Amino acid sequence: MKRALAALAFALCCATASAQQPGDMLNDLPAAVAEEQITVSSDYRGSYITVFGVNPDRRGRGDIVVVVRGPSEGAVVMRKRRVFGLWINGDPVEFAQAPSFFAVLSNRPLRQIANAQSIWQYQLDPAASAQLASSVPAGGDPSAYRRALVRLRYAQGLYQSYAGQPRPEQRGGLTMYQGGLFRAVVRLPANAPIARYNADTYLFRDGRLISSQRIPITISRVGIERRIHDLATTASWAYGIMTVLLALFAGWVAALIFRRT
Amino acid sequence: MIYLPIAEMPVSVLLVLLVSGAVGFVSGLVGVGGGFIMTPALIFLGVPAPVAVATGASQIAATSFSGIMTQTRRKAVDWRMGLLLSIGGVAGSASGVWIFERLLRLGQLDLIISLLYLVLLSGVGFLMLSESYALIRGRTTRGVSILRRPARTVAHTLPFRIAFPRSGLYISVIPPLALGFAIGTLAAIMGIGGGFILIPAMIYLLRMPTNVVVGTSLFQVLIVSSLVVVLQSAATRTVDLVLAALLMLGGVIGAQFGARIGAGLKNEQIRGLLGILLILASLKFLWDLVIPPVEPYVLGGGLW
Repeated sequence: MKRALAALAFALCCATASAQQPGDMLNDLPAAVAEEQITVSSDYRGSYITVFGVNPDRRGRGDIVVVVRGPSEGAVVMRKRRVFGLWINGDPVEFAQAPSFFAVLSNRPLRQIANAQSIWQYQLDPAASAQLASSVPAGGDPSAYRRALVRLRYAQGLYQSYAGQPRPEQRGGLTMYQGGLFRAVVRLPANAPIARYNADTYLFRDGRLISSQRIPITISRVGIERRIHDLATTASWAYGIMTVLLALFAGWVAALIFRRT
Repeated sequence: MIYLPIAEMPVSVLLVLLVSGAVGFVSGLVGVGGGFIMTPALIFLGVPAPVAVATGASQIAATSFSGIMTQTRRKAVDWRMGLLLSIGGVAGSASGVWIFERLLRLGQLDLIISLLYLVLLSGVGFLMLSESYALIRGRTTRGVSILRRPARTVAHTLPFRIAFPRSGLYISVIPPLALGFAIGTLAAIMGIGGGFILIPAMIYLLRMPTNVVVGTSLFQVLIVSSLVVVLQSAATRTVDLVLAALLMLGGVIGAQFGARIGAGLKNEQIRGLLGILLILASLKFLWDLVIPPVEPYVLGGGLW
């Protein structure tokens, strides 16, 4: 049983590796994003990404799937275990690739639009994009770690999925209009990484991909946020010394004021 | 709300100022550095533990510098002893930052920080509570003056003895170096200044006179915390300048108010209250470690 599971996990890894480039984008679906540039300044509290487009089918047949993806990065998941009555983190399990942000929107539940194989092939599910890189601790289940990664990221708002019409009280979801027009709104939380994103739009009909489009979105720091971050990463020693000088200055001012009064 | 560029999260300016002001107030009231309250307070606010530890050190540097300016005017700093403690502290904080980085990569940093705080907060809290209880009951405690009899400690027998004219001591250089090293390591891992461990150790272990203890320990804390800020910036990039500025502002103002109000209050009652507060905080750390987690999986290495 354990061997069968391992073989399955291996097969899944290979499947993701071969479809690593969700690159078979056809770039023929008319779509655009409202904000190709999102700036992060000191009052940044997250943002929204709006993707809109038109279903080219005159009779409006087919299903629309919109995926907003952040860059793939390594991730670590640990399972807590009990040692001497204390719950401590167990051995870390590494993922070589996992999307740092993933929002999938569809006009009806994804499983009704495409079969499981297509979902894996086009990486329409965050779990499909996560690649396990290390072995799990003895007795551990690799797919449990994968599910945990997805669940934890969902809880952080970094993974999102919407199916069907958006509910009136929440902003975010896929809305279909007359004439094949659609609009997808994704909430980008403040903890989402600051990087280059892709908004991918897919048109499926009878479970087959008909057309698709990829639009890049850049999120970047501006102003003082950018200066501080650049300094901290490129000149980290100078940055540290600057912080200490600021601290000494603050202490000096405090001592002066304290002496006066 | 303001977005922190390194912690990569928005925080409420007012909330951070209130918390750092409250911590500064307590530290001014009782006369402690406050790093050991500030770092856990930041962690409770949702700041990632590595950022809280590294950034808290910059606030400690600010507080200790303003303190040392006052102490220098009173000529209450033993520079020779301070230098030895600092040399030990520099080596200790370098090793502490190294351990910090290793633990961060292993995914065990949060656990070690929680465990160290659990021991530290409950220990200090219990000491403060028992001390104030004894004072309120009117019993005479074993004062420092009694303990400063010319008793010989290990510091007097080890080799490499030199004179410390300011403290009136002739002791080995090894204990100050070792003490500085231990405090420096703890400071880098826990984001504390370490004054509240250093001061009793200087009195009981090195037999230094109480009038130079505070100033000399501040000198060591200043050197070590400044170095920790620079090393953490370079090694782990977890120092957040915006958060640091907010902490300094709130902490400095709070400390001034605390010191003024503390002058008119009964010291033993304040210490007793703080002791209870620290024990409660340590129980929170214990609770999080002991109860079975609702979510057995955790994401690690958030900053890598």
